[in-house]
Amino acid sequence: MSNQTLRIPALRILPRLTWLTRTGRHPIGLALGIMLLVGFALIGLLPALLDLPAPEHMDLLARLSPPSAAHPLGTDHLGRDVLARLIGAVPVSLGAALSAMVAILAISLPWGVIAALAGGRTDAVMMRLADIIMAFPMLVLALAIIGFMGASLEASILGVAAAWWPSNARLVRALVLSASHRDFVRAAYLSGASRMRVVLRHVLPQILPPLAVIISLETASVLLALSSLSFLGIGAQPPTPEWGAMLNEARPFFAQAPHMLIAPGLAVTFAVLAFNLVGEGLQSVLDKREPYRW
Amino acid sequence: MLRFILVRLAAALPTLLGMSFVAFAIVALAPGDPVMMELRAMGIVPKPEDIAAIQAEYGLDKPFFARYFDWLGRAVRFEFGTSVATGRTVMAEIMIHLPATLALAISALLGAIVISLTLGSLAAMAGQFAGAGLRGVTVLLVSVPSFWLALLLIYIFVLRLGWARLVGDGSLSDLILPAVTLSLAVGAALGRMVYERIRSEMSEDYVRLAIAKGLGPMQILIGHIAPRIAGPLATAWANAFGGLLGGTVIVESIFGWPGLGQLILEAIAQRDFPVIQAYLVFMGLIFFVTSLIADLAVVLSDPQLRRRYSDE
Repeated sequence: MSNQTLRIPALRILPRLTWLTRTGRHPIGLALGIMLLVGFALIGLLPALLDLPAPEHMDLLARLSPPSAAHPLGTDHLGRDVLARLIGAVPVSLGAALSAMVAILAISLPWGVIAALAGGRTDAVMMRLADIIMAFPMLVLALAIIGFMGASLEASILGVAAAWWPSNARLVRALVLSASHRDFVRAAYLSGASRMRVVLRHVLPQILPPLAVIISLETASVLLALSSLSFLGIGAQPPTPEWGAMLNEARPFFAQAPHMLIAPGLAVTFAVLAFNLVGEGLQSVLDKREPYRW
Repeated sequence: MLRFILVRLAAALPTLLGMSFVAFAIVALAPGDPVMMELRAMGIVPKPEDIAAIQAEYGLDKPFFARYFDWLGRAVRFEFGTSVATGRTVMAEIMIHLPATLALAISALLGAIVISLTLGSLAAMAGQFAGAGLRGVTVLLVSVPSFWLALLLIYIFVLRLGWARLVGDGSLSDLILPAVTLSLAVGAALGRMVYERIRSEMSEDYVRLAIAKGLGPMQILIGHIAPRIAGPLATAWANAFGGLLGGTVIVESIFGWPGLGQLILEAIAQRDFPVIQAYLVFMGLIFFVTSLIADLAVVLSDPQLRRRYSDE
C-alpha cells in the first residue's frame, strides 16, 4: 500500500516541503555526523599538520595560563598545552572506543548468528549465558572487572567489551532471525544453496544496514563509558592524554582555570554526538514507515 | 498472578546461579594472589608454611568448585567477609552506603521518566520542524557526558549562582543536582525510545481509524497509544535503572554524595576484592528485582497476557 495515499491532504500544511521527508527524515543530522567523524579522523591521523608542542611537554612557568596566542586553549596545571593534549587524545580516546567496539563485535556477531541459525537447545543455552552477563548493570560489571584487573586503559576496554557484548549479541540474533524467515531465504534453501551461501549471500546483506545503525549508536555509548571510566581515574592513566582523564586532572583547578574544563568536555560531546547523529540519521533513512497525522 | 510470579522466579534461578558464579569467578580468576596481598598489606615477609596456613584458613587449597559452593553458602546469608581496607564487615560497609545510592538512582529514574515522556511525546506530536528541533535537543542531551554536565552544573549553580552547595551532608536538597544530572542524559535516551514507540504506533491502522473517527491528538495519545506502549516502556525503565545504578558512581564521586560509588572507587584503588564482589552481587540483585517488577508490569498492562495468566 502506498504510504502517500494514506495521508489526509486537506490538513497538510506546506505541501511543497514533502520532498524533504521523501529524501530521508533528517539528512542534515547524518551529514553533520559524517562531517564531524571525518574531521576527527583527519585531526587524529595528521597531528603534524599543526605546529604544536608535544602533548607531554611541560612549561612549568606557564601553568594554568588562560588562552593566548602561544597556547590557543591555554595550559593545564603542569603547563602542558591543552590544544596539543586535546589533539593527542583523539587517537587514544577514539582508538579505545573503536577497539572496544571491535572486541564487542568479534564476540557478539558470531554469537548472535550461530544462536539464531542453530536454534533449539544451542540457542537457548547461548542466550541464557548472555542473559547472565546482562543481569548485571553494564557499567557496574565493567567497574568490577577493572577492579580485579587493576586500573588501566586496557582493563577498561576489556571491562566495557565484556559488559557490552551480550546486548549486542541479542540484537544480532533478533536481526538474523527476522532476516532468515523471509520467503526468498527459504527459497534459496529449497533450491539447494549451502548454509554458508545462504548466510553470506542472503542473510548478511539484509542485516548490514540495521547493524550499521546499531554499531554507530553502540560506539557512542562505548565512547561515553570509556571516557567516564578515565574521568573516574580508572581508565587511561596519566600522563596519557585522554579527554576524560584531562577533565579529571582539571577538577582541582575548577575555579581558577575553567578553560581546562571546556575543551575536553566539548571534544567528548562532539565525538559522541557524531556517532549518535550518524546512527540516528541512518535509522531514519532506512525507516520507511509513515505515521498518520491530523 | 501468584502463579506467574512463582514461574518467573523459578525460571530466574539458573540466571541467579549464573550471576553468582560470574561474581565468584571474577575474583578467583583475578591476577594476583590474595594471600600474598593480604600478607603484604600486613607488612609481613611470608614464609612458605605461613602461606599454606593462611590458604588453609581461607579454604584456598580446596578445588575451584568446592570453593564456589562454600562462597555461595555464605553469600546467600549475605556474609561477604571483611573489607581488607577498613576491617569492617563488607555488609556493614554496603548497608551504610546503599540507601544513599538507591535514593539517588530512584529519584533520577523518576526525573528521567518525566523528561522522557515530555520530550518523546512532544517530538512525536509536534510538526515537522519543531519535532526535528526537539529530536536535536534529545540527541545532544544523550551525547553530553554526565561527568561534564555535572561539572558545568556545579560551575553554574554552585560557583556562580550559589544556589547549591558541593559538600553536602546527604540531605534531600543536596540530592537535586546529582539527580538532575543523571536524569537529563537517561531521560533523553528514554525520550528517544518513547518517540520511536509512538511513531511506530502512529503508523498502525487503528490510529488511522481513530483519526477518521475524529478523535483529537491528546485523546489518541492517552486513550489509544499509551496503553499499547506502557509494557515496553516499563521494560525500558527497568533497563534504565540498571544504567542509573552504574551512572551513580560517576555522579556521586563529583558531587560528594555518600553512596556506594565512593565505596567502590576506593575499593578499586585499594584492590579490596570482598567489597567489589559484594558490590557486584548487590547491584545485580537490585537490577534483577527491578526487571522482575517490570515483567509484572508488562503482564498487568497487557489485557491478553493478564487473561492468559489468570485463566491458568
